Amino acid sequence: MGSTSTKIKLRTSDQKVFKVEEAVVVQSLTIKYFYENGCPSSVIPVHSVSSDILSKILDYCKKYVNFAAGKEDISPEELYEWDANFVKVDQNTLFNLILVGNCLKIDSLLDLTCQTIVNMIKGKRPEEIRTTFNIKNDYTPEAEEAVRREKKWAFDMLRV
Amino acid sequence: MEITRILPEDCLCLIISLTSPADACRSAMVSHAFRSVADCDAVWEKFLPSDYRSIISSSLLSLGKKDVYFHMCFHPILIQNGTMSFQLEKESGKKCYMLGAKALSMIWLLRDTFMPFPWISTSLPGLSDRFPEVANINLVWWIEVKGKIETRNLSPNTNYVIYLVFKLRDRHTIEFKHRTVGLHVNDDRVASWELRRVLIDPYRCDALYIRDRGDGWMEVEMGQFLNECGDDGTLEFSLRETDTSNFHNRGIIIEGIELSPKDISSLVDVRQ
Repeated sequence: MGSTSTKIKLRTSDQKVFKVEEAVVVQSLTIKYFYENGCPSSVIPVHSVSSDILSKILDYCKKYVNFAAGKEDISPEELYEWDANFVKVDQNTLFNLILVGNCLKIDSLLDLTCQTIVNMIKGKRPEEIRTTFNIKNDYTPEAEEAVRREKKWAFDMLRV
Repeated sequence: MEITRILPEDCLCLIISLTSPADACRSAMVSHAFRSVADCDAVWEKFLPSDYRSIISSSLLSLGKKDVYFHMCFHPILIQNGTMSFQLEKESGKKCYMLGAKALSMIWLLRDTFMPFPWISTSLPGLSDRFPEVANINLVWWIEVKGKIETRNLSPNTNYVIYLVFKLRDRHTIEFKHRTVGLHVNDDRVASWELRRVLIDPYRCDALYIRDRGDGWMEVEMGQFLNECGDDGTLEFSLRETDTSNFHNRGIIIEGIELSPKDISSLVDVRQ
């Protein structure tokens, strides 16, 4: 269907319209389905996405489409570095990227953003996780102690 | 707003399932909302090996996935006609095997004659609670014990440590303890041999590789193997006496050879 220069229009929650190359936008399986089964000339609404998040996501999709097409003169290591910088954002933005990656079904973006959260949890104690994500401890001290005893081995291994 | 209120459950499940079983257990203590994600079936199904349904008894399939997981960690399952045991290593969910003595090939010489292997039933108190029979070597001039396993049965991207699990029958039978044995691990795809020589004598302070397992058995490390992709290949490991002077060895009982995923001391993704 169509050449890579075909543009698709997307409308964000704040009513901004983006014209994006087909090859870039079909990285999203949700939009790809919508585009192939709907009317290609109309504007596709992405209600749940704001324009600043969409523009960030399109940067990501463009980078990967260009890299796959050999248009980016960077090594896989440099792309990895680019990924690492891409997710250096505040938590709210990171959560929004996950939400949109999930809703628009952009698997590689979802993996990258979820892995960022994974790295904030791995090898950490519950208190550290609470601080990282500003979570209130809703266990009573007794209940917390009971769960901690039940899962003692998982804490013992942190003392290596 | 809290992460558990912002992200949908399937994203939270994906995140926790990308950590590790130990991380999931610790996450459960963060808050009640975290716990409901960290305990859910979708998470623990990812920690189970993909072929777990064909390994466990069908009566266990009705349990929650987390219960199945811990059942597979704490209750070794006998496979291969009861000659091998299989379980999961609880921190990582990786596969752990023990080839019982009956799954090993053993050659031993008494004077100049190859002898059949002497088995004893583990109904005797204090012996293996894992296998029905273990090898009991009383009197022997020379011994070789070999085992092998298809690498596709092992967890991928995992460093395995291979142990001989044994006990000396009697502290006073010193002959075997004072003999040197060579232990090696060989992966047939790379044909490299790692050979180490050890004295099977747990009471000597230079017995670096020997450890008490705390269950009445000792283990000696035979070597390590990094299973990268889990492609077809065979991993072989053996113990062979290197001292061939004609002393009699007495008093070693072999439970089997264990392949255990190595403790991961760096818990955090190294690329972080």
